[in-house]
Amino acid sequence: MTQPVTIVMIEDDEGHARLIEKNIRRAGINNEIRHFLDGTSALEYLEASEHGPSINGPALVLLDLNLPDMSGTDILSRIKNDTGPLRRTPVVVLTTTDDKVEIQRCYDLGCNVYITKPVNYESFAQAIRQLGLFLSVIQVPDLDGAA
Amino acid sequence: MTISDRLFNRLVLSSVVVGFLALLAAGVTVFGTFQQNRQFNRDVDHTYQVQAALAAYQILVEQAEAARRGYLLKPNASYRAVFEDSRGDMPRALNTLKALTRDNPVQQGRVAQLENMARLQLSLMSQSAEMVRGGRQITAVGMFRSDNNLANMQSIRGVLEAVGAEEARLLKQRSDRQSRSTLMLFWTLTATGLLLLAVAGGSIFVIFQYTRDLTSSRRDLSRLNAHLEEAVDERTVDLRRANEEIQRFAYIVSHDLRSPLVNIMGFTSELEAASAPLETLISRVEETAPDLLTDEARDAVRSDLPEATGFIRASTQKMDRLINAILRLSREGRRVLAPEPLDMDALVTGIADSLKHRTDEIGATITVEPMPDLFSDRVAMEQILSNLIENATKYLKPGRSGEIVVRGHVDGSRAIFEVQDNGRGIDPKDHDRIFDLFRRSGVQDQPGEGIGLAHVRALAYRLGGIITCQSAVDEGATFRISLPSVMLSEGVSP
Repeated sequence: MTQPVTIVMIEDDEGHARLIEKNIRRAGINNEIRHFLDGTSALEYLEASEHGPSINGPALVLLDLNLPDMSGTDILSRIKNDTGPLRRTPVVVLTTTDDKVEIQRCYDLGCNVYITKPVNYESFAQAIRQLGLFLSVIQVPDLDGAA
Repeated sequence: MTISDRLFNRLVLSSVVVGFLALLAAGVTVFGTFQQNRQFNRDVDHTYQVQAALAAYQILVEQAEAARRGYLLKPNASYRAVFEDSRGDMPRALNTLKALTRDNPVQQGRVAQLENMARLQLSLMSQSAEMVRGGRQITAVGMFRSDNNLANMQSIRGVLEAVGAEEARLLKQRSDRQSRSTLMLFWTLTATGLLLLAVAGGSIFVIFQYTRDLTSSRRDLSRLNAHLEEAVDERTVDLRRANEEIQRFAYIVSHDLRSPLVNIMGFTSELEAASAPLETLISRVEETAPDLLTDEARDAVRSDLPEATGFIRASTQKMDRLINAILRLSREGRRVLAPEPLDMDALVTGIADSLKHRTDEIGATITVEPMPDLFSDRVAMEQILSNLIENATKYLKPGRSGEIVVRGHVDGSRAIFEVQDNGRGIDPKDHDRIFDLFRRSGVQDQPGEGIGLAHVRALAYRLGGIITCQSAVDEGATFRISLPSVMLSEGVSP
């Protein structure tokens, strides 16, 4: 059975969110994008919402590390340490930090892809478009089997 | 030390010196008095000797007289023997007396008188003794009664008495002098003793005072030292905290500054993308309905928009480079240094080789002279030297083939490295500025943001070193870095 993947974007900068969305759309991805400006509401949706991936999957998380209310790595570890289906949700970390230690930490916590937001817009658009390709080939886990 | 302290000390010191001088004077006085006393003792002793000699002589005279009288009454050989003995001894006893009274002319005169009278007496005695021996006893007794020997004897006794009296007088005088001198010696000694006590007491007091001061000073000092160490520790912790704060600040600022830049660049590109259909529209309007198109609209789309976006893009890119530079510096500052033995010859040769492509291109040579060994952080040293050598290749003087020399030597516990070029040089007024972040000097014909030397200086500081520049315009430049041959680990170095 196939179910459309919901893209959950957790990004406090509206400009970034808009640019990411634009480029995803340009790459030909038409999945639903749900945008959250802070970690609390995003976690609420991911863990408890009836439309969220915990109950009604599948989803892909685009995560910014610098959030106003909590650190992105906290959200990442919450997602990956979940006991339910949420932990299989692919997480793409998208942030300005290109610090090696930070990147390693994200991968250690279970992040699937790490993308640095380059100031150079072409690279940025390129990265997002590649992300689109990634989204189009993503294997959605079989929820029934997993449960 | 306050002025009153110094005055007090001078006072104490001078009183101690005065005390010791007085003690010395007292010692000399005691010695003099003692010598005088000894002289008086000798004088008294001499008087006693004179008296003894006088007594001995008197006994001899009386004995001779008594023996003669006995012999006259009873011509016995034993009386005669006594008489002869006494007579024989008399001159010697008189000589002794003469010798002893040589210092006194009055006594000398009396002794001479005595000698004459004694000679007369002796001759009278001898005469009568001869008569008795010759059997003329009666005549002898008669003569004894008639001659003046009795009167002579009386005179002798008188003179002897006078000599004795004179000596007794002298004895009294000398004894008095002696006891006076002894008394004086006693007082002098007493005074000296008191003075000694005073000086000793003073000295002990001063020493005690000094010792107490010294002890309390030492205690203060050790307390201050302990405090000092605490203060240094505290300050070091503060400094480290401040440094960490700055690092964190730079890091956070860099990230948070980049975030809006992503938007500016992104939406600038969106603007450019959006101006493409606008441009197409303008072209179509120009073709189909030129009267609809105003000059303002055409200029806005064809030149103003591209120009504006171009400037925004260039500035944003520059800002991004600067932020990246700050980020790199802050990251470098956070990197933990790992000192290790470094083969500096190999390290510098490696850098020179990596720049070979570029130096061949511009026709420059890099000479690496023998380098001293170093125990320091490899990455930091590589970055310092590659920055300096790369700069040397960048700022050569056009038309002059570049000669870059890297050399090093040991200076005490420090190693000195020099990178010298014959390039365009640096104006001396800029020698401090070039080490500041984003500051450059001279003609801006080379790419770069003014970061390299700031980075080099930051690294040099972290390794416990300093970097200086020696240069003049058109005369090349020499960058000299001096750093400890053995780097202390960071926890230790202040």
